Amino acid sequence: MTTDMNNSLYELPTESPRFVGQQVRRIEDPALVSGSVEFIDNVTLPGMLHAAILRCPHPHARIVSIDTTAARQLPGVVAVLTGEDVKRWCNPVVTAPEGWGAYCLAVDKARFVGEPVMAIAATDRYIAEDACELVEVEYEVLPAVPDAPAAIAADSPLLFENQNSNVMLQRVYDWGEVEPLFERADHIVRETFRWNRVGANPMETFGCISQWNLADNSLTCRGSYQTPSFMVLGRSASLNLPSNKVRIIAHPHGGSFGGKGGPRGTDISALLSRKAGGRPVKYIEDRAEYLLAGGGQSWDRYYEAALAVMADGTVTGLKVKLLDDQGAGAEGYGTISVAKPLAAFTGPYRIQAAQYDLTVVATNRAPTFAYRGYGPPPHNLVLETLMDSAARELGIDSAEIRRRNYIQPEQFPYTIPSGNEYDSGNYPEVLARALQMADYEALRAQQQTARDEGRYLGIGVVSTVEPGVFDWNAYRTAGVQGVGVPEGARVNFDMLGQVTVTVGFALEGQGQYTVAAQVVADYFGLEMDAVRVVCASSDAAPPHFGPGGSRVGVALTGAVLGACHKIAEKFRRVGAVLLQCEPDDLELAGGAVRMRERPEAQLGLADLAGTMLARSDLLPPDMDPHPGATHVWTPPGRTEPDEQGRCKSYLTAANATHVVLVEVDPDTGVTEILKYVIVDDCGTRLNPANVEGQVQGGVAQGVGAALLEQYVYTEDGQPLVSTFADYLMPTLHEVPITQKGAVVTPSPFTPLGAKGCGEGSIHITPAAVICAINDALQPLGVKVRETPASPSRIWNLIREAGT
Amino acid sequence: MTTRHQISVTVNGVNYQREVDARLTLADFVRHDLSLGGTHVGCEHGVCGACTILVNGASMRSCLMLAVQADGAELTTVEGLSRNGELHPVQQAFIDRHGLQCGFCTPGFLISTAELLQGNPNPSDDEIADALGGHLCRCTGYQSILESVQLAAQMMREGTIVDAASPAEA
Repeated sequence: MTTDMNNSLYELPTESPRFVGQQVRRIEDPALVSGSVEFIDNVTLPGMLHAAILRCPHPHARIVSIDTTAARQLPGVVAVLTGEDVKRWCNPVVTAPEGWGAYCLAVDKARFVGEPVMAIAATDRYIAEDACELVEVEYEVLPAVPDAPAAIAADSPLLFENQNSNVMLQRVYDWGEVEPLFERADHIVRETFRWNRVGANPMETFGCISQWNLADNSLTCRGSYQTPSFMVLGRSASLNLPSNKVRIIAHPHGGSFGGKGGPRGTDISALLSRKAGGRPVKYIEDRAEYLLAGGGQSWDRYYEAALAVMADGTVTGLKVKLLDDQGAGAEGYGTISVAKPLAAFTGPYRIQAAQYDLTVVATNRAPTFAYRGYGPPPHNLVLETLMDSAARELGIDSAEIRRRNYIQPEQFPYTIPSGNEYDSGNYPEVLARALQMADYEALRAQQQTARDEGRYLGIGVVSTVEPGVFDWNAYRTAGVQGVGVPEGARVNFDMLGQVTVTVGFALEGQGQYTVAAQVVADYFGLEMDAVRVVCASSDAAPPHFGPGGSRVGVALTGAVLGACHKIAEKFRRVGAVLLQCEPDDLELAGGAVRMRERPEAQLGLADLAGTMLARSDLLPPDMDPHPGATHVWTPPGRTEPDEQGRCKSYLTAANATHVVLVEVDPDTGVTEILKYVIVDDCGTRLNPANVEGQVQGGVAQGVGAALLEQYVYTEDGQPLVSTFADYLMPTLHEVPITQKGAVVTPSPFTPLGAKGCGEGSIHITPAAVICAINDALQPLGVKVRETPASPSRIWNLIREAGT
Repeated sequence: MTTRHQISVTVNGVNYQREVDARLTLADFVRHDLSLGGTHVGCEHGVCGACTILVNGASMRSCLMLAVQADGAELTTVEGLSRNGELHPVQQAFIDRHGLQCGFCTPGFLISTAELLQGNPNPSDDEIADALGGHLCRCTGYQSILESVQLAAQMMREGTIVDAASPAEA
């Protein structure tokens, strides 16, 4: 074992946990079903104004003039903000790689449709929007870069004049002896793919209330923030404020999935507040704004890929060439999504060597942001489709070729060619369970019968690895520095023995507060309702990052357990004083501190906490009378990347196999999912209902990406998506009811053995559905190589093939 | 600009008299003028269903109605589902079956479910899908919502609370 970690720190002092591992009800839910949760648009502050933003209608345009005279005269308008103010007060947003960021309002020119050009704060939103309509902007339309191929053309217009080209990043990674393996291969399978833009689309758009305190030049922002501490640093840099004068108050938010946007809206509302004499300014992004230019667009990719395969089906090498369209700059950290595949580049397979040829470009599309999975889902589609193509070429069953290539259970921890280490797993067992649950042989028979009847059924059997517990080092490729992401929790007892856990991130749906309460309740032998979990503002919270990269369930568990352990030590020391023995004579068990040799001699936790808080005279003067502790957890054993980007990055490797049966109607191109079976292994399941919820939610987003969702742009760069009638999100009718099973291979490296699982099925569902469709279409001699596999796309493929 | 109108609406059993702009949406009226923030706004163009409320017992997208159109109507919002401090069985069932994650779309689902079960105490899966197929949820993947509705129907058939869709007593 190469990662050294003292797991005993993270054990529960009970052999029969009542809550951890159980499908307990979520503590979040009573408030949510009652409609009483303070989502940001439910908050009103005294004197609050409302912002509206005027946005550019052109993909690329110079701003010649802005006339706000009429808008300023409209009764109710209080402040007007333009690029001139922004140029005076702000900096362009910091990006990775550096130098690809814009100001929060377009300064001199705009680079995408929907880019904010000016903003108004008024006494209500209706008036603010009226005022925007009175603003006259004169544009000089510039030639646009509509897509990635255009961005690398020789005569491509420049998006960023501080750069020499539109190429943000270009390099080739070679991990192992790739070329010799391809020369020696019996078969080389090649594919090209086009993955069109999809994105997060949480049901709540971004919103915030910013208040600039003119007295001490500080800023407080309340809002639907996923990563408060990160927002603090960003606002400090963009608004020229000391970082300790930016305070973020994160509110519960209606989903995020990485794609909540926020920096521009925050900066704009903050500057409007500054111009409005410090009155709070609320900005609630509407859905049209979100779809055009919010944080909701991700993964705009062109792939060429190849697999080296031996005659016995052994896959030896993988080459992936990616042209990635980041849109108008790197402000949304979409660049990270090309780096993350390094954490699981070769999937669950023993592929010896790999090559990643990477070109990342800027275009006049909306900037891309994070989205659940953050990059691997398209990569997994490529790899898994290649595996199916190899199976077909060799005449091997698609399940069998995967089985032959899996990393074996005894090989863990296993280092993949791109450098990451997988912690543990049992991939053959996961596959076997999935095939058994699906009755795979019967499915194949059903498929054959259907084919004989002229129907097109297809089966996808797909396996992937979900990297969990992200680390910055995985993103060095994109220019991100840093190793080790902290997550802190503060656990405090009051003198009646009730507990408050303070964290730095707000609720967004995954149920982590419930997990924290489960752990604390089991650790101290309490009921779950004796534990309250709260989010502190960024200045008062322990160091934190928050949800992201399938991380916070594991990280929060580590933080909470670490704090509990420190409290238990304090309780034993206090107990030793009161019971006149040594701390080592005492143990924490069953909700009390008791003597190991005489368990009837015990003190309740309220007695101990009460003594510390109300009878410190009984304690030695040097004893800390605080019945609480803070612990900051970071993943153990993370390493600095080498020159090829190789490092131990993501701490855990969850694994899943999906078996999908689809039917494609060749007359309409419509795909129907007939059966969907999932077996996954994310180690210890801290709350199985939470895990299943993440798994099923990922299926829905994966089905959306595979069949429905696409941000469509015209050939000249105009977006055609601005409503949910254009961007098709799956409903109850499209998302399959799935059969789910679990294999549990605990992680040797994490608290309680849990693996990151929040991103879940989005890593695998697009690949599983597309592989099933291609299996169905095989008799027609056509193959889907572009997402989504919409009815029109499939219908056109069939028609063009002339079958 | 916009004209103002005097309206009278009864929401969750409470009567409100307000003067409103003609263009004010019913969703904004309920949320901001009446401070009933449980009705959420997800798209403002009638697709997502988060803002669904009952207007005279029938589900409506409150983002697609103007407040003035609700003059004289009886409305039920998510705040009106619980009685005497006890959750409505539909609310309890969504908790019990993990029928929500972020909870933002949930009030709309709860309202439409209450309406469905009022008229059909034992719906099939297809009937549930028909009733709720116009609601978007980005978190759950719907399976647990389906199970929640089935459980709610069972709880209501067993008589916990029967009168689901009518306004609460003031």
